Amino acid sequence: MKALKNIFKAREISSLIFLIAIFLIVGSINPSFLRFKNLLLIFNGSIVYVLLAIGIAFVIISGEIDVSIGATLGLAAAVSATLLRDGSSWAAAVISALIVGAAVGLINGIGVTVLKIPSIIMTLGVNGVVRGAIYVYTNGKWVENVPYTFKAISQATIMNTLTYFFFGALILMGIVHILLTKTNRGRYFAAVGDNVSGAHLIGIPVDKTKIITFVACGIFAAIAGVVYVSRVGFVTPTAGNGYEMKAIAACVLGGISLTGGVGTVVGATIGATIMSSISRVLVFLKFSSDYDNTITGILLIIIVVADALIQRRVAEKARRKRLLARTSGEGGKNNE
Amino acid sequence: MNKELFKNKCLRWESFLVLTLILEIIIFGLLNPKFLQAKVLLGSINDFICICIISLFVTFVLITGGMDIQAGSIVGLTSISLGVLWQDAGLNIWMAVIMAIFIGAICGAVSGFFVAFTRVQAMVVTLGGQFLYSGLALVVVNLSSSSAFEGISGYPKSFIALATGNILGIPNQVIIFIILAVAGYMLLHKTKYGRYIFLCGINREAAEYSGIRTKWVIMSTYILSGMSASVAGIVLTSYLGSARADLGKELTLPIITAVVLGGTSNLGGKGGVIGTALAAIVIGFMRFGLVMIGLSTQYLDIPIGLLLIIAVAGRTITSNTKLMKMIHEIFHKIKRA
Repeated sequence: MKALKNIFKAREISSLIFLIAIFLIVGSINPSFLRFKNLLLIFNGSIVYVLLAIGIAFVIISGEIDVSIGATLGLAAAVSATLLRDGSSWAAAVISALIVGAAVGLINGIGVTVLKIPSIIMTLGVNGVVRGAIYVYTNGKWVENVPYTFKAISQATIMNTLTYFFFGALILMGIVHILLTKTNRGRYFAAVGDNVSGAHLIGIPVDKTKIITFVACGIFAAIAGVVYVSRVGFVTPTAGNGYEMKAIAACVLGGISLTGGVGTVVGATIGATIMSSISRVLVFLKFSSDYDNTITGILLIIIVVADALIQRRVAEKARRKRLLARTSGEGGKNNE
Repeated sequence: MNKELFKNKCLRWESFLVLTLILEIIIFGLLNPKFLQAKVLLGSINDFICICIISLFVTFVLITGGMDIQAGSIVGLTSISLGVLWQDAGLNIWMAVIMAIFIGAICGAVSGFFVAFTRVQAMVVTLGGQFLYSGLALVVVNLSSSSAFEGISGYPKSFIALATGNILGIPNQVIIFIILAVAGYMLLHKTKYGRYIFLCGINREAAEYSGIRTKWVIMSTYILSGMSASVAGIVLTSYLGSARADLGKELTLPIITAVVLGGTSNLGGKGGVIGTALAAIVIGFMRFGLVMIGLSTQYLDIPIGLLLIIAVAGRTITSNTKLMKMIHEIFHKIKRA
C-alpha cells in the first residue's frame, strides 16, 4: 500500500498520466492515432530528444543549466559524420564524437566551478563558440554521403517494434536512474542541486560533482549527435539549433524543477516523449504543424505554473500544520 | 562611503567599455580605413539596432533578478503582426505601428504576470514565451495572403523613412537609439520607479515589506522589455522593407551578452543602462568590423561568445578577494626572487 502511495507521489507519474491522457484524447478524436504502428513511430522518433533530456537532467537536477547542448549535438554530429564519410571505422567516429561532447562539457564545468561564471551565461557563450566551431569545421557546407550501412542501423528494429536505438536509450535511462537514486555518489547530484552549502558542509565535493554533470551532459549530447547522423543521414551547420530549449522544456514537462534537487531521468524521458509527440498529435488532429511551437509554449507555461501553485499550496498546508502543532504545545506548557 | 565605492566601481567598468570601443575603432580602422568614415560608422547601426534597443530594457528585467530570453521571438511576432494589420486588416500604417507596440506589451505582460505572481522561475516562463510567441508568429502568417517565405512588403514611403532616413546627416536609427537610451537612463536612475526596480533585485522581501508592490514592478519590467522588442521589430521591418515571422530568432545570445557585458549582474540588484548601451555598441562594432575585415557572418558567434565568457570571468575573478590575494602573493614572490 505504501509503495503504491509513493508511486503516486512521484512527480513523473503526473507527467506519465498526462502523456497517456493526450494519447487517449487524440485517440478518441481520431482512432487511427492509437494504432500500434503510429505509437511506435512516436516513440522511435523521440530518441534524439530523449537522449538530450537525460543528459541535461543531470545538470538541471544539480541546480545548473546548460544551453550549449544543441550546438554540442551539432558539432559531435558533424565530426562523426565527416569521419564516417571519409571511411574511418564506426568506433573511431563514435569515440571522437564522445570526446568532443566530453570536452565541451568539461569547458562548461570548469567555467562554472573554477571561474564561477553563472551557468546560463557560461553555456550561452559556449553555445555561440561551438556553433561557430561547426562552421569552421565544416566550412559552412553540409556533411553528406554518410555510408548507407550506418544509416540503416537507425531503422533496424527488434522484432518489428522499437528500434535498437530506442531500446538502448531506455536501458541507458534505467542505468542512469539506478545510479542517481540508489548509489551514494549518484545522490550527490540531487544533494548539490537541493542545497549547495549543505552539500559542501557534509563533505560532498561540490565542484567535482558539478563538473561531472556538465561532462555527462556533453557526452549525452554527443550520443544524441551520433544518433542524429544515423537517423537523418546528413549534417547541416545549423543541426541541433534550438534543441537545447526543447530539451529543457522536456525536463520541465517531466517534473524536474529548474531550481535543482527535484526530478528523475525517467521524468525527463517522459517529458521528451510528450515534446516530440506534439507535432504528430497535431497531424492527427488535422492542424497545421505551424502550431507546434505555440502548443509547446502554452503547455510549458500551464504545466509549470500549475505545478508551482500546487507546490505552494502543499507547502503552506504543511507550514500551517507545523505552526498549529507548535502553538498548541506551547500553550499547554504556559497553562501549567 | 559604500555607495561611493560602488559608484566608482561602476564608473570604472563603463570607462573600460569606452576604452574597448576606442580600441575597436582604432584596430578596425587600421585594418580597413573605410571603417573610420563617419557615414559608415554611423550607418553600421543598421546591423545591430535590435540588439541595442532590446538590451536597454532587458537590463531592467535582469536587475530585478529575472531573465528574459523571449525578446527575440517578440521581434518576429510584432514584425509579422504589423504587416498583417497593415496589409490584410487595412489599418493605417501608423495605427498598425501602435497596435504592434501594444502587442509587444501584451506579450511581455503575459510572461511578466506569471513570473511575478506565481513565482515560477523567469527562465522557464520566458522559455515558454519564446516557443509561444515564435509559434504565434507562424500562426499570424497564415492569416495573411502572403506566404511566410516572401514576407509582407510594399510599405508607404513615410514608414520606410522611419529607419532609412536621416536628420542633419545622422541616421534616424541612431536618433531612435539615443532617445530610448536617454529615456531608459532617466527611468532607471532618476525616478522612484527605477529605485524600486533595484530594490526588488537586491531584496524582494525587504522591498515588499517597505510597501513597494514588487509584483507590479517586476511585471512592468517584462512589459517594458516586450515593448522594446516590438519597437525593434518595427524598426527592422521598416529598414528591411518587409515583415517576416522569423526576424530576431538569433538575438538571444547578443542581447544577454550586451546586458551582462554592460555590468549588469544576472543575480539582480546591480547594473545600469549606460553600461548596456555601451556594451551593445561594442558588440555591434565588433560584429560590423569583423565582417568588414572579411570574416564570414557565420563565424560571428565565436568572438561574441568568447567576449561574454571572458568579461564575466574577468569580473568574477577580480571580485574574488581570495584569488586576488593569491595572485598578489605570487607577484610578491616573483619580485623577491
